[in-house]
Amino acid sequence: MIEPEEGVPTILNLSEISEREREEEEKVVDIVREFGAENLIYCMQCGSCAAVCPLARVGFEWYNKKLIKALLLGLKEELLDDPTPWACVACNRCTEVCPRRVSPFEVMFAVRRMMVEEFAIPTLAIEGLRALYEYGHAVYMTGREARKKVGLPEKPPSTDSDEKALKDLKTILRNTKLAELGLIPMND
Amino acid sequence: MIADVVKNESKNEGKLKYGLFLGCNIPFNRPDVEQAMRKIFPALGVEIDDLMGQSCCPTWGTMPSIDIVAWCAVAARNLCLGEEKGIDLMTACNSCYGSLNEARHKMLTNPDILKSVNDILSKIGKKYEGRAKCRHVAWVLYKDVGLERIKESIKYTLDDITIAVQPGCHFLWPSEVYPDKEEDPFNPKVLRELCEVLGAEAPYYSKLVDCCGMGALRSTDPEKSFTLVKEKLECIKEELDADLIVTTCSSCLIQLDDAQERLRKSGKLNFSIPVLHYVQLLALCMGFDPEQVAGISVTPRDEIIDKIINKR
Repeated sequence: MIEPEEGVPTILNLSEISEREREEEEKVVDIVREFGAENLIYCMQCGSCAAVCPLARVGFEWYNKKLIKALLLGLKEELLDDPTPWACVACNRCTEVCPRRVSPFEVMFAVRRMMVEEFAIPTLAIEGLRALYEYGHAVYMTGREARKKVGLPEKPPSTDSDEKALKDLKTILRNTKLAELGLIPMND
Repeated sequence: MIADVVKNESKNEGKLKYGLFLGCNIPFNRPDVEQAMRKIFPALGVEIDDLMGQSCCPTWGTMPSIDIVAWCAVAARNLCLGEEKGIDLMTACNSCYGSLNEARHKMLTNPDILKSVNDILSKIGKKYEGRAKCRHVAWVLYKDVGLERIKESIKYTLDDITIAVQPGCHFLWPSEVYPDKEEDPFNPKVLRELCEVLGAEAPYYSKLVDCCGMGALRSTDPEKSFTLVKEKLECIKEELDADLIVTTCSSCLIQLDDAQERLRKSGKLNFSIPVLHYVQLLALCMGFDPEQVAGISVTPRDEIIDKIINKR
């Protein structure tokens, strides 16, 4: 490999890395297709998705087009430590413009689902899941001064004030993959 | 499958009634937006149901990041609350609008997903038929209430006020999953027309459809998030010199309002533009109490509210 000059970022040779990982038992592309990115294989790397992606715009490493290429080459380990998929705002500009109906958003989220299985999940996401299970709201606040200030009852008409509904939601969540993963305590 | 979707539309039978889907950020973080909706809709002849027992939509960082069936199951329980009453949901939060409609689209186009979801729902005695959907309040105002009725209902007009509109991502894309669609989602007109009918100018600007940087982007990397919002704000200042930013998304509202103050405090921004959700702006124009319908903000709003109400 040619040594880069000072100040020039190292160039990742994706083909070289993929050679190493080709030995992986299960192909990463099959895993992410299983997790919702069925159309990944139709990508022709035209770059339409990258042109409209907010993550690409502000310099995240594995934005949509590059992530898809990496997956098609068989990369996995390189992706697990990177926060890019968790920064995706799910805006779906990419889905709108993709001429091959790949839905790069689905690829981003399929990679999240793969990362979750490897416990590569941000603390904030765990906190959101815990709040969703405990209260029925991923964003939950105990301070209710703001509601009172604007003349509303302290509690909204949600699981927050409906015990039966919260119990129903917990039953649903306990019957999903979330329970199998064991990421959060899920008591009755 | 499209035919099935149409066949499954909820019937409102002439009268306008919707289940008010709140989400999380609005009731806990920005309840003035909730109060604005509770004021304007009955006054415009739209009945609202509380959808007692509703939960988080679920938002992107939770179930959608775990498993598709799990995502759809939580969304379906919320949709069922409307379906059982024969009404659609409506929301002022783009994330809820996106998550609920993407989940519905998955369930309607993939029978395996719908079957798995209904197997789970059967444990709580529910079943989702695919009828109820989630509408966006801006579309309900634009299509169901109509611009004429809005015009007739207002007490104050927005003369000499220039608005920079921020429709927000999940108002627009992916257009395939939404019950209402802009003619061109990269050049949206609905929010501009909703502002113009109040008497304001709401011109195009070059970063109109750009992302505000909220949500997962901000929680993952605040610095990158603030880069995006700063560029957007500077564009609004330079191209429009806007008096006000108006959005149809509660996340955009929080980001544009709150990040603006953070940028000022760190010396990266030297101007201030107040931000309102459209339902708040309409509530102000209809004459409702500013403390109740627009009382919570980080970037000051007093001046613009005074200008609207007292024409100062």
